[in-house]
Order: sequence, then C-alpha cells, then structure tokens
Amino acid sequence: MSDRVLGIQYSTLAQERETVTLGMWAFLATEVLFFGALIAAYLNYRIWFGAEFIAAASLTKVALGTANTAVLLTSSACMAMAVITFDAGSKRAPVLWLAATALLGLAFVGIKGTEWFLEYQEHLVPALNFDLPRYGGIAEIFFIFYFCATGLHALHLLIGISLVSWLAWRIGTGRLQPGGSTTRLIGLYWHFVDIVWIFLFPLIYLAGRNM
Amino acid sequence: MTAGTIWRCWLTLMLLLAATTASAFVPLGSLNLPVSLAIAVAKALIVLIFFMELRASRPLVRSFAAAGFFWLLIMIVLTGADYWHRNDTRAPIDEMPLPSR
Repeated sequence: MSDRVLGIQYSTLAQERETVTLGMWAFLATEVLFFGALIAAYLNYRIWFGAEFIAAASLTKVALGTANTAVLLTSSACMAMAVITFDAGSKRAPVLWLAATALLGLAFVGIKGTEWFLEYQEHLVPALNFDLPRYGGIAEIFFIFYFCATGLHALHLLIGISLVSWLAWRIGTGRLQPGGSTTRLIGLYWHFVDIVWIFLFPLIYLAGRNM
Repeated sequence: MTAGTIWRCWLTLMLLLAATTASAFVPLGSLNLPVSLAIAVAKALIVLIFFMELRASRPLVRSFAAAGFFWLLIMIVLTGADYWHRNDTRAPIDEMPLPSR
C-alpha cells in the first residue's frame, strides 16, 4: 500500500498530524516518570550515603561513557536529518540518515556492552559476582541503580533501533510516502531516549571524579 | 528546521558535552552536581526545542511535553522534602536486636 489513506476518525491530514503528535507526547510523559523514578531514587541515595556512594560512581568508565554520549547525540542529529530530508521528498537521503542513526545506536549498545563486560571482570555486577568485602554495601546499591538504569535505557534503544531499521526498510522499498507522521513520531521517541541518557550520563559517570 | 540548524545544534551539544566532562574534574565541592545537571538541562532543551520541534509546535503539544517534567519535579521535590532532611539513614526496625534462636 503506497498511497496514504487518512484514518476514518480524521477530517484532515493536519488534524491527524496534531492528534498523533499529542498522543506520542502523552506516551513520552509516562516515560519521563518511568525513568524519573529511578533518577529520584539516585538523588535520595546520593544525599543519604554521600561520599561513599559518589566514590562508587567513580568506578565507572568515564572515557567510554563520554564517547557513548557523543555517539548518541550524533545519532539524534542524523535522525533529525532523516525527518527533514523525508519531508522534503528525497528518496535516498532519509534511508541513508536512518541507517546512520541505527548504526550509531548499535555502536552505543556495543560500547555499553563492553563496559558491562569490563565491570563483570572487575566483580562489580550485583547478584552475579559483586565483591562485597572489597567494594562495600553502598557501592553495591550504586551498581544496582547503574545496571537497572543503563539496562532499561539500552532496552529502549534496542526498541528504537528496531523501529528505525523498519522505517528505513519501508521508505527504501517505497512503502512509506512523505506526508504522514510515522517518521516524525519515531524521531520523537529516538530523541527522548537521547534525553534520558543526557541526564543519566552526569549522574553515573561524572560523580566523584575529583575526590 | 534546516540542515544548518541541526548541525549547529549538534556542535553546541558536543561543546556542552566537553564542558560537562571537563567540569567534573574541577574540584567544586557540592557545586559539581548542580553544574553538571544545569548543563544536562541545557542539552535536553536543545533536543526538545529543535530536534523534537517544540519550537514549531502548538501550545497544547508544548504543555503535554512540559507536563511530564512538571510531575517529575513534584515527585523529586516532595520525596526529597522527606528523605533529604532526615538525620538518620536507618529505620527504627534496624535498631531492634535480632531475635535469639
């Protein structure tokens, strides 16, 4: 089906566009609170446990974390390029920008996986091999937060990579024509996952770097 | 939004990333966290306003976007009003002696 068909509940394309955009933002508001609860817990722990909690954060890999932030911010710029080139009616450019977005997303997951592997080798994984006598209980609480937060974020990113790949395939095979909202909505989701990381990054990687 | 805007935003985001990582290694005491969070808010606003096109959105869409963050602020502030002002980190049950076997 290559022709755009307006949903039966809409009278104009503009109305459909506004409605689905609003729906996406309502969903993203629930996601803000989903990740926000984790961040609220982090702030409580940090203020409660103080220096010992902050010292545990400095065991994370700051160089890999910073590189990963750059990768994800660049992927968002590529996603934004995909949206504007698609709206401009280009056939090849959005597919290439989406491919770049998905590849950068995969690179992020790859770097994240490398960090997890290094942390496994350093016996920093709670419930699996955490070295309690060496690091202490408060460090274990930090790493429970760390693995929950980065794991849930990576899961969101894998969903995003799947959506972006599907979108690239649909546009590349001519199944999706400009005028609809699919590309922009998937873009909104991708940028949101980027924003989550923007806040997780200083909390996880930048704490305790000058102690 | 033009390609020029997107890549200017990207450049600003990269500069802010460099600034936040650098600031973490400067001993600012208790100011390190507010500084890094302020830079995170600046980065998030660039993504929200330009990449997520809130600049060109209707007020209704903007208010939906703001609602999630507003409720998050309520959750953090009200939770913090309790936990951040406690003098002890232990609950009364932690102080009770263990039952003898």
